[in-house]
Amino acid sequence: MAARRVGAGCWQRALWLGRRCRLPGGRESCRSSSSSTALGKTVDNSQVTQEEIVLPRRKTWDKLAVLQTLASTVNKDPTAAHYMFQDDPFLMPRNAANSRLYSLSKESGRNAAKYIIKNFPQYFDKTFAEPNVPCLMPESLTPQTKGVSEEALRERIHLRMVKESVDMFDQLQQGGTPVSLETTNSLLDLLCFYGDGEPTPENEQEEKEDLEEPEVNASEQKAPKRQFQRRSQSSGPRWRENNHAERIFKIMPERNAHSYCTMIRGMVKHGAYSKAYDMYIDLLNERHKADVHTFNALIRAAPYLKERFVERWELAKDFLTHMAQQKVQPTLLTFNSVLKSLRRCGGVGRTMSLLVLKEMEALDIEPSLASYDHLLSMYYKGVDAQSSDIISEVLDEVEKRSFTAQDPDDASFFTTAMQVCCDLKDIKLAYQLNKALEKGDNWKFLDVNQLNGYWSKFFSLLCMMEQIEVVLKWYKEMSYSLFYPGPKNILDLLQALDAANQLEVIPSVWEDVKQLGFSRRQDLLEEFLSLMSRDQHPSEIQLAFAKCAEEIKAVHEPAGPGQVPLEWTGSALGHVVVLFSRAGRIQDAWNMMEHFQKINRIPTDKVMDEFLNCAKQTNCPDEAIKMVKLAASLGLLSSQRLKSRTEEEFELSETQKKALESIKWDGDSSDSDSDSSDSDRE
Amino acid sequence: TSSVLSKDKDTSAASKESTPEGAAKRQEERAGTPKQHLLDIIGNMKVEVSYRKKLQQLKASESKKQAMNELEGLDSEGSVPQGITEDTQRGKPLNPELVKAASAVASSLPHNKKQTVSDLLAQLRRHEETTDKQKKGGTVNIRNVISEMTVKRQSPAQRGARISGRISLQLDEDGRRTRPARSSAQSVLRNTKYRFSFLVYRSLKVGKRLNIFTKASTEPEHALKTVSSPTIWDLEFAKEVAAVTAQPPRNGFEEMIQWTKEGILWEFPIDNEVGMEDDAEFHEHIFLEKHLEGFPKEGPIRHFMELVICGLSKNPYLSVKQKVEHIEWFQKYFEEKKELLQEI
Repeated sequence: MAARRVGAGCWQRALWLGRRCRLPGGRESCRSSSSSTALGKTVDNSQVTQEEIVLPRRKTWDKLAVLQTLASTVNKDPTAAHYMFQDDPFLMPRNAANSRLYSLSKESGRNAAKYIIKNFPQYFDKTFAEPNVPCLMPESLTPQTKGVSEEALRERIHLRMVKESVDMFDQLQQGGTPVSLETTNSLLDLLCFYGDGEPTPENEQEEKEDLEEPEVNASEQKAPKRQFQRRSQSSGPRWRENNHAERIFKIMPERNAHSYCTMIRGMVKHGAYSKAYDMYIDLLNERHKADVHTFNALIRAAPYLKERFVERWELAKDFLTHMAQQKVQPTLLTFNSVLKSLRRCGGVGRTMSLLVLKEMEALDIEPSLASYDHLLSMYYKGVDAQSSDIISEVLDEVEKRSFTAQDPDDASFFTTAMQVCCDLKDIKLAYQLNKALEKGDNWKFLDVNQLNGYWSKFFSLLCMMEQIEVVLKWYKEMSYSLFYPGPKNILDLLQALDAANQLEVIPSVWEDVKQLGFSRRQDLLEEFLSLMSRDQHPSEIQLAFAKCAEEIKAVHEPAGPGQVPLEWTGSALGHVVVLFSRAGRIQDAWNMMEHFQKINRIPTDKVMDEFLNCAKQTNCPDEAIKMVKLAASLGLLSSQRLKSRTEEEFELSETQKKALESIKWDGDSSDSDSDSSDSDRE
Repeated sequence: TSSVLSKDKDTSAASKESTPEGAAKRQEERAGTPKQHLLDIIGNMKVEVSYRKKLQQLKASESKKQAMNELEGLDSEGSVPQGITEDTQRGKPLNPELVKAASAVASSLPHNKKQTVSDLLAQLRRHEETTDKQKKGGTVNIRNVISEMTVKRQSPAQRGARISGRISLQLDEDGRRTRPARSSAQSVLRNTKYRFSFLVYRSLKVGKRLNIFTKASTEPEHALKTVSSPTIWDLEFAKEVAAVTAQPPRNGFEEMIQWTKEGILWEFPIDNEVGMEDDAEFHEHIFLEKHLEGFPKEGPIRHFMELVICGLSKNPYLSVKQKVEHIEWFQKYFEEKKELLQEI
């Protein structure tokens, strides 16, 4: 209580207390504020005894402490979409495509606003906020210093204006003004980082997007490309021969270790690996020492410098030995670089990676998620003989800790690990992984794109390995809030339902499929129909199935302008007929039957039998005759059998009998016709 | 083979009460010794029983079937007369014919029949034991072997460690061998590699380290390095790492956290002293009575001044210094007008 009182430091309350007790508010006065007279007395006493009242010092709070505490009380709502969609209930996404679209549009709106502010700062000269909020104001991107001087050059470098900086440097050189080593080095930093290209606005925007909402960053085709770029460390332009960085490096009157190091890092970043190695040799010849980042870059370059696996490892090891010789202490990133290089060293990598991990342990460097990610992909990607030893040990380690990001590669751990669990078909490991993900802030390592992949893999594994009740429970909790199931997840779910003999759940799954926007996927529809029509079920389930069938039928029919209906396949058509027949909807079933002729397909015997059964149950001899007629016109062998069945099982009137007889005659005469249509078909 | 043996042991231990030896022993012991003692003895017997059974099986399968079967059959069937088992000290019954012969001898002797029988039988037993021992090889020895095996079985991890240690050692040798003649030894290494990838029990916990680095003890050097201003590399790397865990907020509070970090939101807890320029704390702003020392203790001026400080204490726009100055102004004013006031 005392903390709250003081922490709040609220003037009003203190004032009120002060007035009432007429005395500097201390601890005692607050405790019983009900009787002011009694208070006054005690206070008088204290004054008499000259007791000093120590005012508590102000308690300083972390400005986020309260919010963090509050945030930790919020549980996840399994029925709700992601928080970022909750501004507008109308724009609540119901499937993966919508979710992507909405989050992209939200972010692009934000980016547009930023673009305007950045490009037209002159319209934003009023500061309305008091105190000012700098992040909402335009940054000044125009250099303030005029003229040609080192000061101006430094400012341009700071503002990351590559071309202007180079021009300014050249002017200074031509003017004979020496540029200090430090400034030249930072110019080299700039040039090497951007690979001698301008930091393009798209690039920058992408990076900023990355910072805020990485999942909305790129459209579907773009995302893998970007990842690939990241993996090969060659984002941005390639290193060109004799670019400005090299030129400036050459004309530098004196170079220190930093100059060499930044050149090496730039060359590695932009894919000039052998150049980087040569530069490193130069550095050694000049008797300089490289720094740890440079070694990290060189180690990452090792797989590109040598052909054979062993040689690659030897080179990386050489760099490590050099580090030890030059007394450069390795960091976590050093070892992560080693592990990353070992990924490209095949079996050698697998053997050596364990030694590397032991070395880290010996140096008290805790592996990050990236280290484990490299390890897992070494052991489980493309290796046939798989055992769960390594991953279970890794998970045991991961489970114990809450991680913070230390390496850009940290992000891919959880997806990789889940993939491994899927490959091993080990549900226990997957549960363990889930537990690790829930620990601390570990969830932050999955952005929304990866989240979808992670959970859909997990869900497929569940469908494969778990009891159907458990699967359905997860399905309820996960879909829409954690991820949007993909077509494959639905297929897996259907298979699990089939295996557990719970086909009555199918109509509700179909509802979900409609919302997820997969109602036009042929493979899914096929699976639905074949599962529904395979066995006979109680009548209410059959009715529900027939409803689904009707909706599936609707997808195949022209609905509105611009909507191309799906093509019927023979089997789908047959399944729909069976479903209608079993539900006793003879008219709908007949309509479907007629489609067979339109699309030149043949109904199977099963379909026709079901149809006849239905006709019998609903007592519709007319339909049965039509059926026989159809079968005869298609020239089916079974038409004779159907005809005799119709004669036996139905009570036919005279006209109907006649009709039936005439069919037979028709069928005989149209034999040649049906033959020709057969050949057409084939 | 260890597993076979131990399994055998387990089953025999479980069914030990049904074996005749065990039963006989128990009968014998039930007379005087406490239960604990009995359990100890049974526990001691376990290994030996199993060992014997094992040997029986082996023997039966090996040779000398007929002769042995006679003896063993009698043994295991438990058809040994009660009187004899009482005499046996280690639970190993003797051939009844021998016993009969011994008692016959004893009866022919004049005094202390019983003593003679037991003496004779003890001698016989000793004799049989030694022959058995020499026939089958030392009991103790095999027992040791068995116990060693069970120790191994108890810690497969240790065994794994030993094996993988051995293999990595081997590999290291291979690696060293390849270094001088790299190109030719390539295939050798590759072969070993493949062999190992399927044989080795791999683990994160066991194995060697690279042994390239030593632990850091050069703290001052590090401190010096970090002082230098961050380069564009450092800045961009920090950004990249931050982007890894920068996820969109999951609830309103997290959004507020984000805004706070960006400096958009007023900080929590709401602090009325934010933005106050001087270091004065709230009580100096509010409790201004101490500045009224120079005023009369009562009367209209005192009353007036109390109202003044009341107003001042509620005024957030003035600094403490200004408030004090304000009070001092009144003090001066009343001082100047003192005469005038007294006139009134």
